[in-house]
Amino acid sequence: MQTLSRVFTATGLAAVALLFGLTASPAALDVRGAVAGQQAPALRLPTAEGTYLSLADQKGNVVLVDFWASWCTPCRHAFPAIDQLFVDFRSRGFRVIAVNLDEKRQDAVDFLVARPHGIDVVFDPRGDSARAYGLTGMPSSYLIGRDGTIRYAHAGYTDKVLDAYRLEIERLLSEPAGGEHMR
Amino acid sequence: MQVGEREPAPAPRNRWRPLALAGVCVTAIALVAAGSLRGENILNIQFHTFQDSRGVTVLEPIVDLDKDFTERSGLKVKFGVDAITAASDSCARCHPDGANSQRTFVNVDYRRKIGDYKLDVGGQISRENFYAADTAMVSISRDLNKGNTTIAGGYSFSLNQPQLHPTQSVENQYAHDLFFSVTQTLTKNTILQLAYDYNRVSGYQSSPFLRTRVNDIMVVGNTPDLRSRQAVVVRLRQALPGDTYLQADYRRYFDTWSLASNTFSLGVEHYFKPSLLVGFTYRWYGQTGADFYQPSYTGNPIYYTGDFRLQPFNSATYTGHVVYTPAHRLLDLLPDKTAIDLQYDRYQASTQFASSMFTLGLRIPL
Amino acid sequence: MTRTGRMVLLTLAALAVAMWTAGCATVQPWERARLANPCMVFDYNGGQADFASHWQSAREGSSGGFGVQGGGCGCK
Repeated sequence: MQTLSRVFTATGLAAVALLFGLTASPAALDVRGAVAGQQAPALRLPTAEGTYLSLADQKGNVVLVDFWASWCTPCRHAFPAIDQLFVDFRSRGFRVIAVNLDEKRQDAVDFLVARPHGIDVVFDPRGDSARAYGLTGMPSSYLIGRDGTIRYAHAGYTDKVLDAYRLEIERLLSEPAGGEHMR
Repeated sequence: MQVGEREPAPAPRNRWRPLALAGVCVTAIALVAAGSLRGENILNIQFHTFQDSRGVTVLEPIVDLDKDFTERSGLKVKFGVDAITAASDSCARCHPDGANSQRTFVNVDYRRKIGDYKLDVGGQISRENFYAADTAMVSISRDLNKGNTTIAGGYSFSLNQPQLHPTQSVENQYAHDLFFSVTQTLTKNTILQLAYDYNRVSGYQSSPFLRTRVNDIMVVGNTPDLRSRQAVVVRLRQALPGDTYLQADYRRYFDTWSLASNTFSLGVEHYFKPSLLVGFTYRWYGQTGADFYQPSYTGNPIYYTGDFRLQPFNSATYTGHVVYTPAHRLLDLLPDKTAIDLQYDRYQASTQFASSMFTLGLRIPL
Repeated sequence: MTRTGRMVLLTLAALAVAMWTAGCATVQPWERARLANPCMVFDYNGGQADFASHWQSAREGSSGGFGVQGGGCGCK
């Protein structure tokens, strides 16, 4: 019986090693989302009023595209912080497009109604824009420079991420509009 | 008295207790004081009560504080006390007026994200009259497939030291535990987990309190020194329409004492409002007896036991629980998002044993 | 088949299923609304899970399968 127990343990350990080995192969790794340096994928999504907001209309501004949902706890913490960033930097050409990915619109509405905000919120319940940006986690945000390219990408939200945003936004706002990357 | 031929060791000293308590308090204060309340911090207070048909009553308050230091690391410290009226028939035999006991334990767990892996290292110290248990554990997990697959493995080592009351001699028992699991998200509404557990206990495994009849003489049991135990577990979580969730678990267990069991539990939870969750769980358990178990013995048996856990039996547990997360601050005192949970369990075994348990818990995000 | 033989088969079958399901349809991070609910998390209330494991090991002959094991107790 002792030998059989050892056989079991060996099998178990071998299986662990095998699974780790197999799944660590490049084929199983996460597909990379939209990365810094790329032209930001186009966005054109409806607001709560039914009008359409487009990323292209924001050229010349520094834009934070933030993908969020009401069921995602870090997203809920990020929302007021991002709203504050908008208040602080809007006069210098900073804009926010908060893309809501709730499948049920009412969940998002309940969340928003309880939180007065200045940022623009658009709705993408099917997640097409999330797919276009290749999100690997929630929340995910992309800081887009005045030239329309993605300059910084963040997955997840912590106080450290918020500090990083401030530095990055400052850096991007100090760049002049125009240049060879203009759309 | 058939307790084997081992060398007795000196009884464990109890001087650790005030030191450990001081250590826990210092750690707790340090945790809260260490910087701001950045990151997630949760304080859990639970109060369990247990009463059974053998006349045992246990009150168990437990406090734990879970703090994130950074987004990559965190610490959890847990402290609990079991106040036990050990007036069960095993104790009432010599203590007809009843005898109280107390078990105190401290558990510390440190977690850290290293690349794509999450590492947990922890330990537990537990002391009660006539029993000491020390455990060290480590576990590691990794998420794959955008978080759809999680592989986890862990190992723990325990040194358990029963004292052979009413003598002063102390025995040693060593337990190694190896655990492995795969958790897979199957659909937007379904998660499946498969787990395997291997446990190997060596050393003294009888109970100095539980006696059996051998040739009409009541004696303390004599069990084998080695027990290898294995369990395979399948667990399912299914989101159903209408804010309802289904939980189903199955465990198949067997060991080298020929004790095999099946455990099956089924639970349903439903949100009557976003702030009110109500759930019911039914658990069925059935085990065969250990191969050397008999209600009483005659002749010259090598192994014999009075441990009721080794007999064949089955049982049913009925559980109801409620979790309430008020929208407004509770009593205007506790932080937002504090949750209160109440749980009642009723356990009934085919051996005529029954017990009731009640828990009141508070989960306080700081 | 012996009981041990059956267990070997069962364990290997379980591992095979695990490896197969690892190749299942991937749920995207933004589709995890219900999966994020505490009811879908195994042992969300860890304290309650520990307490259950504790009284069960004081009454029953089995243990384990739900996480790395802690130390014993002198429950009578």
